[in-house]
Amino acid sequence: MPIDPVVYNYICSEMRYPANAVIIEEGAKGDWVYVVLEGQVKVKKETPKGFVVIDTLSEGEIFGEVAFLEGEGAGRSATVMAAEGTVRIGILDKEQLIKEYSLMSPTLKAIMRSLPIKVRETTQRICAALVAGK
Amino acid sequence: MNNVNRSVSTAKLLRYKKGEQIFKQNDFGISIYKIINGKVLVFRECEGLEVPIAQLGKGNIIGEMIFLLKGVEVRSASARALEDSEIEVTHPKQLLEEYEASAPILKLMAETALNRLVRMNTFLDRLAVNEQEKREHFKAGLHFRKNKRRFYRKKVNLACKYALRKAPRGCDVTLKGSIKDISMSGLRLEIPSMNERVMSHEIGEVFQVETVLPNEKQLKLICTLVRSSKARGCIDLGMTYAQLNEGTRKTLGFFLLPA
Repeated sequence: MPIDPVVYNYICSEMRYPANAVIIEEGAKGDWVYVVLEGQVKVKKETPKGFVVIDTLSEGEIFGEVAFLEGEGAGRSATVMAAEGTVRIGILDKEQLIKEYSLMSPTLKAIMRSLPIKVRETTQRICAALVAGK
Repeated sequence: MNNVNRSVSTAKLLRYKKGEQIFKQNDFGISIYKIINGKVLVFRECEGLEVPIAQLGKGNIIGEMIFLLKGVEVRSASARALEDSEIEVTHPKQLLEEYEASAPILKLMAETALNRLVRMNTFLDRLAVNEQEKREHFKAGLHFRKNKRRFYRKKVNLACKYALRKAPRGCDVTLKGSIKDISMSGLRLEIPSMNERVMSHEIGEVFQVETVLPNEKQLKLICTLVRSSKARGCIDLGMTYAQLNEGTRKTLGFFLLPA
């Protein structure tokens, strides 16, 4: 997926990660939003039976939006790791995002916030199902 | 469901009794529901299974996915009241306009979360269906740890009767033989050499073979003769099933399970 021009305008910094480097750690505080510029990243979740991969993201895909949309210091919902080769990640301008987000009406914000809640719940259920099936 | 307040034009307060459905997967509808009081279960319906997605309470919003998809799709999940609940329903015309006018980056983020959710829900459906199948296999005794193959060819010695399925007039005789081994795809039949003199045993011909399994289950099999070889005083016939109905498949499958 090519990188959306809308996203390009918000990139304020760029990082390179070697294979298997941790980009986001589950549970850590932080609400920066990222975009994959090159390569792939794996979204993993820690379970009592080890890590399970719940998603793989490629070029142009955004991640980190769960913690951002949820706000109020919510911890990261999953670990994101660089897959193979060199992975290039763009970091989006958080100040700008917060400014735009604050312009939304409370109802619209509530709708936006409901998405990450469901992502978190669904992630938990997937993990539970994967662990039960192991 | 009890309509409490009809005077408010944009938002209506509805009351749902415990167990009542709020909306159904695959329905059209763009309204957004806000839980004022109570508890709601959001779940997916997949191959007759209910796969829970989220249990939500006071202040949570449901039905927003279709709003973000701009109502062009059908509802991706169903919702049901888990206890008596009060829910505010809004037709989101104004909200839709506001959403359209908001920063494209935020819309993109919402879409990203939405796509992820849809992808994960499908994944969860698959996991739930797999799990259900496993449970059913376990119940049917089809689950075992040591062997991955479900069915085996079994050596047996079963007396049987067989006849040509479409016998020409005057040749509609039933002969005796014994099944020496049997699998889910075919069987090996041993017959006395003299049988050949009574009836033709041409490759390609279709026979009906009847036997009783050691567990006293009757088995009627429609088989095509695919191989014939002479041995001492008898003929060895290789047959494959021309058709196998569900009942026969089950009976046979159960019999062929490794001990």
